[in-house]
Amino acid sequence: MRFKTSILNKPKHTDLVSCVGWMSPDEVYSCSDDQQLLQWNLVSNETTKWLPRTAVQKTKVGSEVFLLTACDGKFYIVGRNGRIEKTVEAHRGAVLAGQWSHDGAGLVTAGEDGLVKIWSRSGMLRSTLAQVSVPVYGAAWAPDSDGVLYTTGTNLIIKPLAPNSKPIQWKAHDGVILKVAWNPNTGLILSGGEDTRYRVWDNFGRQLYTSTPHHHPITSLAWSPDGQLFAVGSFNTLRLCDKAGWCHSLEKPSTGSIFNIAWSSDGTQFAGACGNGHVIFSHIIEKHLEWKNYEATVTSRKTIALRDVTNEAWEKLEMRDRIINVSLSYGYMVIITSSQGYIYSTRNWNTPFIFDLKESNVSLIVQAERHFLVVDGANVYVYSYDGRVLCAPRWPGMRTDVLNSRTVSLSNDTLAIRDKSDEKVVHLFDATTGKGLNDGKAWSHKLEIVEVALDKVGTAHERRMAIVDRNRDLLLVTLQRVGTMSRAVKLGSMVQSLCWNDGANMLAALQDSKFTVWFYPAVVFVDRDMLQATAMERDAAEYGKNAVVDSFLDSVVTVRRADGSLVTTSITPYPALLHSYVTAKRWDDAVRLARFVKDDIVWACLAAMSTAHKELITAEVAYAAIDQAEKVQYIRYIKEIPIKEVRVAEMAMLGGHIGDAEATLVQSGLYFRAIMLNLMTYNFERALQLAIRHKTHVDTVVAYRKRYLARFNKTETSKLFQQYEKQVNVDWKTINEKIAMEYQREREKPTSPQSNFVDT
Amino acid sequence: MADESLAAAGLYIDELNKIRVLEPEVAQQTAELKDECKEFVDKIREFHERADHFIQVADTMSEAVESEKMRVIGARNLIKSMSKQREAKEQQLLALIGEKKLELERLRVQYESLRRTEADQLEFIEQFVLRK
Repeated sequence: MRFKTSILNKPKHTDLVSCVGWMSPDEVYSCSDDQQLLQWNLVSNETTKWLPRTAVQKTKVGSEVFLLTACDGKFYIVGRNGRIEKTVEAHRGAVLAGQWSHDGAGLVTAGEDGLVKIWSRSGMLRSTLAQVSVPVYGAAWAPDSDGVLYTTGTNLIIKPLAPNSKPIQWKAHDGVILKVAWNPNTGLILSGGEDTRYRVWDNFGRQLYTSTPHHHPITSLAWSPDGQLFAVGSFNTLRLCDKAGWCHSLEKPSTGSIFNIAWSSDGTQFAGACGNGHVIFSHIIEKHLEWKNYEATVTSRKTIALRDVTNEAWEKLEMRDRIINVSLSYGYMVIITSSQGYIYSTRNWNTPFIFDLKESNVSLIVQAERHFLVVDGANVYVYSYDGRVLCAPRWPGMRTDVLNSRTVSLSNDTLAIRDKSDEKVVHLFDATTGKGLNDGKAWSHKLEIVEVALDKVGTAHERRMAIVDRNRDLLLVTLQRVGTMSRAVKLGSMVQSLCWNDGANMLAALQDSKFTVWFYPAVVFVDRDMLQATAMERDAAEYGKNAVVDSFLDSVVTVRRADGSLVTTSITPYPALLHSYVTAKRWDDAVRLARFVKDDIVWACLAAMSTAHKELITAEVAYAAIDQAEKVQYIRYIKEIPIKEVRVAEMAMLGGHIGDAEATLVQSGLYFRAIMLNLMTYNFERALQLAIRHKTHVDTVVAYRKRYLARFNKTETSKLFQQYEKQVNVDWKTINEKIAMEYQREREKPTSPQSNFVDT
Repeated sequence: MADESLAAAGLYIDELNKIRVLEPEVAQQTAELKDECKEFVDKIREFHERADHFIQVADTMSEAVESEKMRVIGARNLIKSMSKQREAKEQQLLALIGEKKLELERLRVQYESLRRTEADQLEFIEQFVLRK
């Protein structure tokens, strides 16, 4: 990826340009020390000139009005037509920075007098947030507009707006910090200063990246709206960097120092304010996409070059308008231009489906196998691959500018979106209708969620969602379309990044210092003990720190290292094959494959899958192959049981889900079994509760308890038991008779013939 | 004799037998002086012309020298700034080279990992074929 810059032959301004800002994708304002404010129209290449009365320092553009801060200590709110609507005396000395809050409700200014002030949108002073002894060169709003980041000399300070809250302060640079930027989407902070370095921080002030020193101070930096890229400006220098910090490209235009950079709202171009009176315009080209054997490169504003690697076939796609966003996956390429969307199939590059856009500021495209999601400035749309809008999900407190590929996940039937105002909540929608699952009740977790990812294959009722929370624990949830959602089960910890496979439900993740692939993550719902056996772990030292799993296609995992290089790793292809057999219910083939491969991971996966599908014969074979004798024995025992519900419960027991097993038994009225289950797991209190509630086998429970206490030479401490000991007579003979009778009754019960179950 | 009496009266007769008031000798000297003066004046005039010409030449010369001097100073400055410019240019190019090097390193890592993946896959195919 790099940018293409354009600059006029002669500067329009006669003095250095101090600031630029965008009003719309085609309209730029620039202000200069020559006390002029210019409006640039990128379509007609015209500039309009205004003459404000004072030297102008900063502009930050809102919707219809923009903010202008001046070195006479005032700030101005200026209308689109250039009329000054409001003049406010703000600081003593120059106002060095000014920014609208992300929700547009207020603005912050920082001045040479060391004050940071918060104003309402009409220019009324709300509060003086901070007072320091040095000029404040930069200020930026927090992602939720509930705090402000500002500079004091070499330090950065995050100060929440709430009174009496403690600010976070840290030393960020060796020289004076000149610029800061805070992206609302990713929550990452960018700073640059006179020590000629730029640095990336997370919102706790932890350093994620530091650049090598430049020859000149960093005079400007800006995040792209989606937070995936940022631009850095210095003397005769423009850099385009990935959010991880590594540099996509470097340009050396003769511009003098670039004092300010502003991105257009669609994130495809930016303007820079140059020290020699120029305004430099750049747009991003050579965005490169790869999917299986296809490579796509955006070669210019309106063209995309496509290459099929297998047959070296080239295609050149020409669009009518500027390309805003491109995505290539699942055999389709979705291109969003400033007016229309194009859907190309990899089978046919000649006739795309074309659809009209509601808005051109498309910040995100997420593809699934059957449909794709488009996020624009105000809405979220799910489109089918023939260009129809399937639905436009909405949720309370909806904000689309903060959605990114980590907080949105789409599968064939489900759409998951992490809420921004309450990060513990995930909104779940049916992907085709847009209705909320569970009557629109969102799923919530105990901690803030950092990443959500839905698995991609399989049916809707076994859709699973992987989440990573703030503690970097990876959890797996089975999504229920109706009824209450089950709890999340922990899969791993210290997870930095994860990715589902596109063809089978396998999950690759980078953990602390390990690279892990779970070939059958749902094993945690079936048989937790097998989690390690069904996963592959490898040392992740070759990826270094802060690496990210980029893609997981077929049997190849691509990891992007912190320095930007892509590292591919191949994993064994057999589990994927196994998945396809199991989905097709070809158990014999699955067993044959496992026998052929002779790999414990494959056998373990097969064991877990067959247990999940209640395929006992296969499960027995598979467990036997990995020397799990006790499980084989247990499966044999289960096979003997005549009643279906009991078998289901026992299968749950096999996976260690005692609660589920008990619930199944109680639900189908098998109270005796439920009681026995608790007795077998030494859960006496629960057994007694059940016995009392259903008025059966109280004496059995008490008898077992007594025998247990006698064996371990203990005295009764439980009050409940002390009470019932007196009430019931313990007679082992009658108890044994009763138990025998229960089993007898079960055998005679005609509900489910045994053959029906084992043959499936 | 008559001459002497005439001379006493202050009159002289010249070779052409004309009466003169001036002594012929003096007259001759006067004429000589006159001629000499004329000659002198002519010479002076010539000298003046030559001097003028010389001054003119010197002026144009000095002008040329001056402009040449300025040119040289300019050129010298240019050379000086040139070396600076070259330094800046060199720095720029070095920065660009550094960037390319980083990119090359990235691509090298990717290439190597792809090579490894290829080797893995070939090995897999071989094993697969052998076991069949």
